[in-house]
Amino acid sequence: MPGDAARVTSSARHSDASALLLLAALLVVALVVSCAVGAFTFSPARMASYLAQAMGLTSPSETDALGRNVFLQLRLPRVLLSALTGAVLGVSGTIMQGLFRNPIVEPGLAGTSAGAALGASLVFVLGGGTSALSAPLGSLAVPLMAFAGAFGATMLVYRVSSTFGKVNVFTLLLAGIAVNAVCGAGTGFLSYIARDPQARNITFWNLGTFTTADWRGVLVVAVSFVVCFVLTLRDAKALNALMLGEDEAALLGMNPQRLIIRLLVLNTIMVATATAMVGVIAFVGLVVPHVLRMVKSSDYGFLLPGSALLGALMMVVVDVVARLIIPPAELPVGIITAVVGAPVFLWILLRQQRRGSAGYYG
Amino acid sequence: MDECAPVNAAGVLLRDVSYVVGETRILDDVSVHFRPGRFNVVLGPNGAGKSTLLRVATGLASPTNGAVTYDGEPLAAFGAQRLARTRAVLSQHVELAFPLPVADVAMMGRYPHYARVPTSRDREIVDAALALVGMTERAAQPYSTLSGGEQQKVQLARVLSQIWTDDLDAAGQSSRFLFLDEPTSSLDVHYQLHLLDVARGLLEGRCTVVAILHDLNVAFRYGDQFVILESGRVAWNGERADEIPLPVLERVFRVKARRVGSADDDGPLLQFTL
Repeated sequence: MPGDAARVTSSARHSDASALLLLAALLVVALVVSCAVGAFTFSPARMASYLAQAMGLTSPSETDALGRNVFLQLRLPRVLLSALTGAVLGVSGTIMQGLFRNPIVEPGLAGTSAGAALGASLVFVLGGGTSALSAPLGSLAVPLMAFAGAFGATMLVYRVSSTFGKVNVFTLLLAGIAVNAVCGAGTGFLSYIARDPQARNITFWNLGTFTTADWRGVLVVAVSFVVCFVLTLRDAKALNALMLGEDEAALLGMNPQRLIIRLLVLNTIMVATATAMVGVIAFVGLVVPHVLRMVKSSDYGFLLPGSALLGALMMVVVDVVARLIIPPAELPVGIITAVVGAPVFLWILLRQQRRGSAGYYG
Repeated sequence: MDECAPVNAAGVLLRDVSYVVGETRILDDVSVHFRPGRFNVVLGPNGAGKSTLLRVATGLASPTNGAVTYDGEPLAAFGAQRLARTRAVLSQHVELAFPLPVADVAMMGRYPHYARVPTSRDREIVDAALALVGMTERAAQPYSTLSGGEQQKVQLARVLSQIWTDDLDAAGQSSRFLFLDEPTSSLDVHYQLHLLDVARGLLEGRCTVVAILHDLNVAFRYGDQFVILESGRVAWNGERADEIPLPVLERVFRVKARRVGSADDDGPLLQFTL
């Protein structure tokens, strides 16, 4: 006969599964809407026929080549890239908050994104500009340098802010500020010495944009996300155990040191790849796990898939807003995420301060 | 007695263990034998090396010199997972970085036993452990809303789930090792006694229990083997609390001690003054 705990754990898993299904359904709706609206508006029937043509199910109609090209070459990759980037940032925030055992960490604050932007802009400016990207090696150089920059910056922040396995929040924030400032200065310097077309490519990184989305970018981000996410999922239990502290996790048979390095590497690969494609988008990684924790659960078995779905959903919605808010121009998405995310960040910080670093959310 | 403990001794054996950090010898040639079915108590003033002794004995830290064996098998030879299934540690105070329901916290004790999803057996064990510590009604409540004493009970349930003993004969292993690191220091007297009663109850399953305790009178009441540490060395080691010489206690703890009343079944009662 199942007792209380059995009932609690199994009913919690049941409701977690329905929450994930709900998020997935909302994401599908958001994807369809995002594909439909913008400078060109497409009806669902037209989008379906474009897709059918692209997959070779029906023969392409000659009269609507422009619409088809806009949809297949601009709109669809952009929507998919925004969803993937959101998933990367959401999962990344979840992983980093678990590793730092603190709800205020995210790739934008811990230097990961800024480090990635610096690494990528080095390639853009010193590696021969945009022409380097079209070369086979160049397309690898950008993500690789982005990874190197992101990993170096994140490890620096982690080392400075953690002593004896405990992370000091204030040192973390200050170290994040310093590392972000240095990386930002480096990126700024590169954009200063760069000639004009390169400079445009660099400035967008500080605010993030999906205007440059193409299928190559979608593919690169998709592969890195799927691989890193699947590998991270296997550590859901370990991330839960880490909530108790590194010693307790070790007593449960985990190896916290190796876990932290492994997850930081996976996390950095994802973030660096996405950042190299779309620039720095702050606060998504902060808000997504926070919302999920507040309305559902802190169990990483739920949080990891949940933050992928909610991150994608939020990013797709933000991208739609960015396209519609000041037509015909569009707003960099980073501005919107900052306007929404920064107040949430301050609110969490205030709550944490009021309750002491342990029991927030009540 | 401990000097001649056999190499394949049942229980936890520390042999000539030293632990050195820089120039400081935190543990200096310590040999102790914690026997199964006993409530082993480690006593000593602050800084005597009790916590380091526990870290070394549980495998959290490797000794600079010497060796630790469980039932004669070197601790270093245990795989991480097998060790986690046979040995558990209740720490002083465990804070949870994020909110989780009580049942989820207790279920963490089963992590070394299942891969992705807990089996019905894992759930039964967590239920039984929560019932044993009297936290069944709180299973769905967030851990952070509990009082300090209740949180410690939940941690005990987690730790007991980790080394739960009634499915062990099938695995061919009967030994379990439970370490308590000042488990009661933040608890009021009711929770103290309740927690130690639960731990004592495990002895019938021939579990080896090793506890660091601060309150000497509580220690004398529950313990049936005593190791007194002083500056990283064993100052006294024996089975009867009433045989501990008062001068040793007075020197190690830097107090004046006197016996109050007679030594009854609950052990001697001591009064301390400066």
